[in-house]
Amino acid sequence: MKALILAAGKGEGLSPYSDKVQKETIRIVGKPVIQYVIEGLASVGVTEFVIVVNEKEEQVLQAVKDLNVRIETVRQRSPGISGAVQDGMEYMDDMFVLAFGDIVTPKDFYRELITTYHRSGSPVFSTVPVSTGLDTYGLVKVNQGLRVVREGSTLALAGAYVIPKKPFNDFLQYLDEVARDADYFVWTGSWVDIGYPEDLIQAVEELLKSESSRISNKASIASTAVIGKSVIVEDGATIEDFAIIKGPAYIGRNAYVGSFSLVRDFSSIEEGAIIGAYSEIAHSLLGPYSVVGSKSYITHSIIGDRTRVGASVITASYPATVKRQVSGKFGALVSPDESIPHGVVIGPSYRK
Amino acid sequence: MCGIIGVASIGAKDAALAKITLDALKSLEYRGYDSVGMASMDSSHLEVRKAAGNVEKFERLKNPLSMKGNIFLGHTRWATHGEPNDINAHPHLDCTGEIAVIHNGTVLNFLELKQDLIAKGHRFVSDTDTEVIAHLIEHYRKLGMDNFTAFKQAIFSIQGDHAVLAIIKGDNRIFFSKKNNPLVIGLGDDMNLISSDVWSLVKVTNRTITIGDDELGYITATSVYAEKITGEKVNLTSRLIIQQIDSSATSLQGYESFMMKEIRESWGAVRDTIVGLMNDMEKLGKAVKAMDKARRILVVAAGTSYHAGLIFASRLMRTGKTVIPVIASEYENVKASGEDVVLVISQSGETMDSLLAMKSFKNSGSFVVSLTNTLGNSISYYSDIALHTRAGPEIGVAATKTFTSQVGALLLISSLMIGENLDYLKEAESTVSSSFSKSIGYAEKIGVDVSKKQSLYYLGKGLGVPMAMEGALKIKEIAYIHAEAYPAGESKHGPIALVEKDFPVIFVNTSEHVDELRNNLKEMQSRKARVYVVSAGSELRSDQEVTEIMIDINDARLAPLALAPPLQLIAYYAAKERGLNPDRPRNLAKTVTVR
Repeated sequence: MKALILAAGKGEGLSPYSDKVQKETIRIVGKPVIQYVIEGLASVGVTEFVIVVNEKEEQVLQAVKDLNVRIETVRQRSPGISGAVQDGMEYMDDMFVLAFGDIVTPKDFYRELITTYHRSGSPVFSTVPVSTGLDTYGLVKVNQGLRVVREGSTLALAGAYVIPKKPFNDFLQYLDEVARDADYFVWTGSWVDIGYPEDLIQAVEELLKSESSRISNKASIASTAVIGKSVIVEDGATIEDFAIIKGPAYIGRNAYVGSFSLVRDFSSIEEGAIIGAYSEIAHSLLGPYSVVGSKSYITHSIIGDRTRVGASVITASYPATVKRQVSGKFGALVSPDESIPHGVVIGPSYRK
Repeated sequence: MCGIIGVASIGAKDAALAKITLDALKSLEYRGYDSVGMASMDSSHLEVRKAAGNVEKFERLKNPLSMKGNIFLGHTRWATHGEPNDINAHPHLDCTGEIAVIHNGTVLNFLELKQDLIAKGHRFVSDTDTEVIAHLIEHYRKLGMDNFTAFKQAIFSIQGDHAVLAIIKGDNRIFFSKKNNPLVIGLGDDMNLISSDVWSLVKVTNRTITIGDDELGYITATSVYAEKITGEKVNLTSRLIIQQIDSSATSLQGYESFMMKEIRESWGAVRDTIVGLMNDMEKLGKAVKAMDKARRILVVAAGTSYHAGLIFASRLMRTGKTVIPVIASEYENVKASGEDVVLVISQSGETMDSLLAMKSFKNSGSFVVSLTNTLGNSISYYSDIALHTRAGPEIGVAATKTFTSQVGALLLISSLMIGENLDYLKEAESTVSSSFSKSIGYAEKIGVDVSKKQSLYYLGKGLGVPMAMEGALKIKEIAYIHAEAYPAGESKHGPIALVEKDFPVIFVNTSEHVDELRNNLKEMQSRKARVYVVSAGSELRSDQEVTEIMIDINDARLAPLALAPPLQLIAYYAAKERGLNPDRPRNLAKTVTVR
């Protein structure tokens, strides 16, 4: 069976970060988001993938280059999500998997998709219960089959489908039409749709929740450093004297944590990122090769690839404006290759 | 629901193939377990063995491993037409014994087809709808059609959802047809299989092809063919999937839990129950008449069924009828007479407490009406009129769809007794299904919240009281959280003493006496309780701080049906959050057959 993966959206909820970066390629806990989707589908027997991309095609290709499956990309020509699906569908068989490239969920999610298809032989919708940000999701109502609706339901479309190949004008209308005869499953495990900054923070948390400790013996960890529970340290990472990694936390390849710094509670420090001395990082995602200067406090924040955060930078995370997730906290979203000067307080809900 | 399996082989045969079929049936048993049968065939003979009971009993009584052949069919049944016995078990044969058919589904027009076939000289031996399919194939073959054309004509003649497998002596094909019931092909070595689900196949092969609706065709040991009912050939190979299923993890057949599956089946179950009862108006009318004339109605039930019974009792007591709800194990507190009618409600029809109560009341001369979810059970057997819900098999220990079906059935029966227009029941199905999708997100949130607590209250008014009791029972059963249900007004007379900061209280609002209920809610809020509301009809909360699940209904009488899904889902998510398996609560059995 073939799968069509969508990775050409504008990602407006993550603006201005998403102006530079295709959100499906953002690395979380060591992997680009889209890899979680493709690995999930590959684990249940999908062997061929077509990814719909936009002008950021190169970023997507980079993000999937290590995967051992057949992948082709197709440039989106027609506008909107309807255009993306139409352009990609040409390469599909009469029944195919359609998956959004921006969902972080365990592989079992895709297993349930395929097994539901086997059970019914009809189209399949994945759904997930939601109680916050209802207006940001496509919803389905159960009433003599499924109906795609904007309100009156707390069951959201979960971003993976088995649907037939047919011509259509409007994608949501098409889904609604297919929905009437579709089977569905209600996913009860962890599931994050990467649409807003708070989703990235939540995704780090969900991914690290299910991980157990793994410390590479090719990492350099000072004898006075303290490593707590549920911590992953990858090859080549350095953790200096008196640093504390209080899990759950992820320290990527060749990342550096300076002396007396504290990395705690669902933080993901991606490959090559550097944290100076005396800093504290919590509930945050530090992109590859980003730098956080000494004596800084970064919480509920996303720091883009190669971005430099100065010394003594403080993020404030509440009262924040958030659409989704219950924590209600959000400090800063700083795009790749930006810089934050020394000694400033940013946030809550800061975007650059 | 039934489970079906077919195997065609040019390698393994006889006992080895029988073993494969039997193993598949064991895996399919969740789809039905009241009777089992197998057919085996080679070029010269066709044999059928079948028995009432589960697969283990069939194996013990019929020694299926001694069956011979290179083509096998297997069926495990959940009776809908004709009670479970040896004759009604599948496979069914035509008059000549050369055609064997197994079937998961319903033939809606079977009575007219059967009459027509009998007029043409066919002899029927069972009460099932399935048997007509075998005779139809026989009929069309007699008209000179080849086997596949005759099979297709038979399928075109029947109405209703189905998955059908058929074999014909002298033909090495297993014919199949699918409409809305599942069917999947497995491609093995020197062997092909076709089954109701993929988990019954994975021991043999991981290469599978899913059949779509309105597709029919055949498999042989080495080939597969399908076409749409329009005649257009189907490209099956493009659907090939290499399954990566760990065959040790197949007990749930891909469902995350049976409880969620069964909650999701509840609106179809309510629809089928109401339609099923109304299709036999004569029997239903007799039951209604008997209860109408009775001096008193004694409603006998236990557990969840008792709560459904309370709804029935409340509705009738409001009209002045004397109805006494009796907890089955406490029947000795009530003296019955020949002027009373007993309504006994039990999912399984085997509940020992209910059975004993019923026998005792019957000995006192009472007329007995029963409402159970299986055909041919003990309670049906001993009752004067046996009515049935049609919820299908329920595997989860906690009653979900069977409760909602009982409520649907009892709304219908009470409306007939009261003389109400039945039109509102046309919305029974959509009320339950819309409630499910409207409430699930908030139900998860409430379930997760209360999962951290040791204790909570469910408060309601009117029909909200039995619904509150059912909500409390569910969360006790599967999430092991101590929960008590009270009439909201009664909470002032004692229970409120326990309420302190963040003590969870779930209000169950059927929109009866909303103002009084709102006062009770404020009393709880002023003691800093953490208040949640589940409402059908009209909103209860006065501030946005309170999480309220609000289900719209078009008729107040539908409120219990609207409230069932959120109350079940709250318990479900509380159990999940606590890391518990909602299907198998400790210390509980599905059917309580001890005193």
